[in-house]
Amino acid sequence: MNLEVEIAGVRLKNPVIAASGTFGFGREYSKLIDISEFGAICTKGITLKKRIGNPQPRLCEVYAGIINSVGLENPGVEAFVNDELPFLKSFDTKIIANINGFAKEEFVELTKILTSLVDMIEVNLSCPNVKEGGMVFGKDPEKVYEITNSVKNVASCPIIVKLTPNVTDITQLAVAAEKAGADAISLINTISAMAIDIETRKPLIQMVTGGLSGPAIKPIAVRMVYECFKKVRIPIIGMGGIMNYKDAIEFFIAGATAIQIGTVNFINPKAVYEIKEGIEDYLDRKGFNSIRELVGNINI
Amino acid sequence: MKLLEVEIEENVKIANEIFLLSFESEYLAENFKPGNFVNILIDKDSIYPLLRRPFSISFVEGKRVYIGYKVVGKGTNLLSQKSKGEAIDVLGPLGNSFLTDIFDGKVAVIGGGVGIFPLVGLCKELKNRGNKVDVFLGFRDLDSMFLVERFKDICDNTLIATDDGSSGYKGNVVELFKANFSKAEYKVVFCCGPKPMLKAIKNLNLPVKCYASLEEKMACGIGACLCCSIRGKDEKMYHICSDGPVFDIMEVEIE
Repeated sequence: MNLEVEIAGVRLKNPVIAASGTFGFGREYSKLIDISEFGAICTKGITLKKRIGNPQPRLCEVYAGIINSVGLENPGVEAFVNDELPFLKSFDTKIIANINGFAKEEFVELTKILTSLVDMIEVNLSCPNVKEGGMVFGKDPEKVYEITNSVKNVASCPIIVKLTPNVTDITQLAVAAEKAGADAISLINTISAMAIDIETRKPLIQMVTGGLSGPAIKPIAVRMVYECFKKVRIPIIGMGGIMNYKDAIEFFIAGATAIQIGTVNFINPKAVYEIKEGIEDYLDRKGFNSIRELVGNINI
Repeated sequence: MKLLEVEIEENVKIANEIFLLSFESEYLAENFKPGNFVNILIDKDSIYPLLRRPFSISFVEGKRVYIGYKVVGKGTNLLSQKSKGEAIDVLGPLGNSFLTDIFDGKVAVIGGGVGIFPLVGLCKELKNRGNKVDVFLGFRDLDSMFLVERFKDICDNTLIATDDGSSGYKGNVVELFKANFSKAEYKVVFCCGPKPMLKAIKNLNLPVKCYASLEEKMACGIGACLCCSIRGKDEKMYHICSDGPVFDIMEVEIE
């Protein structure tokens, strides 16, 4: 079974992508698994300048999920290009650079630097853990349009816009990104969330709120992929709580062309192998010849 | 590091809420260095707890690896109910390790609560290398004391502090250590325990090198998720799982 999928002309040998922020720059996981197994690796969010991120605690566990507020800790684009990219390029997988800015100009600058060096750029307009930029831009369709358009004007590689679920209607963001020329959209980023220690009455995350990921958010993510699939024609990369192949299949049926896996990497680093195998078996079992036949193929 | 499936050999309560679990793993036993930890997936199909849980390796005997833990939440509670023959998924060994050179003089090792566990392996290795080792152990009370006899077998001196004075010195272990530090002229100090204890040790501004094993909530355990970051000097960020868990105590901020 051929698991190949295509996003804006970029062929991925399979539809399983390592989600940004859960896979570093691939180096750590390469000691445990063959990271070439992924169709693509989406890097840790990169900013123009190095960022040290948010104070501790940055992580807590809740029912069926985790809340994090890492706050875009990263070494900055220069260190990424010099120290991390050559290593990533040594693997047989596509590279998606996840970029973050605190002003439109920063997204443009990052795109100029990276556009010829990576296969695709994922414009993160959805990080819930920074005070400026990120989700603050991403909640406003006009800003999504403006930033996407500016980035597209300087990009030679396809642009994916990563959307936030922390809005009333995510399809407005999807439509704005498509109108501005986005080649694809990815959704969903984490959901703003909070947990409190009832003994101390203190929030479990130092920043008070953080982003919820894991199985708890999967039904919301599937619904949002389904809604966006009905409104846009560009490919959708679906993510949110995918723990196994069955979860992945749901996303394809809802309308995703590819999927990203995040939280599951922490729990089962071999998830990529299992999910790929499961997708293949499912397609065989159901008589599909390709993933394309499954995308949006929902019985209602 | 490797992903391993091991069978529990023993999982016994050794003090109030404190358990010692062991399993056989030739790979882990051969590659273990004092200070290393493992990330255990307690139940593969569980969505709560969801994440793996980090546990320091306490010590190794032959192929047998010993992990100690305190029941504090759902994950450790589930682990405490597992019995001999049950399989667990272990990722390790992870993290860096304590320096175990030959020091010209005495070495002090200070532990508090579950932070005592990784110090067994450390003390064994320090002694194997010919060092003189004094260990200072802090417990809440008599019921929460564990592994004391083992330390007595290994170390030159085993000094106990309990909060309620039910055994040894009445008070905290840092005060006990401080009272002994100047006369013993330790060449190096190692410690592991709760943050307030480590902070108090740091505040002593010891004239010798002091290495502390730290802990923080972590997701991946290998340096990818950046959840367990700790600020070092000059705004440098370290990651407890991959740069640590052992750090020069003066090089990192303990909040």
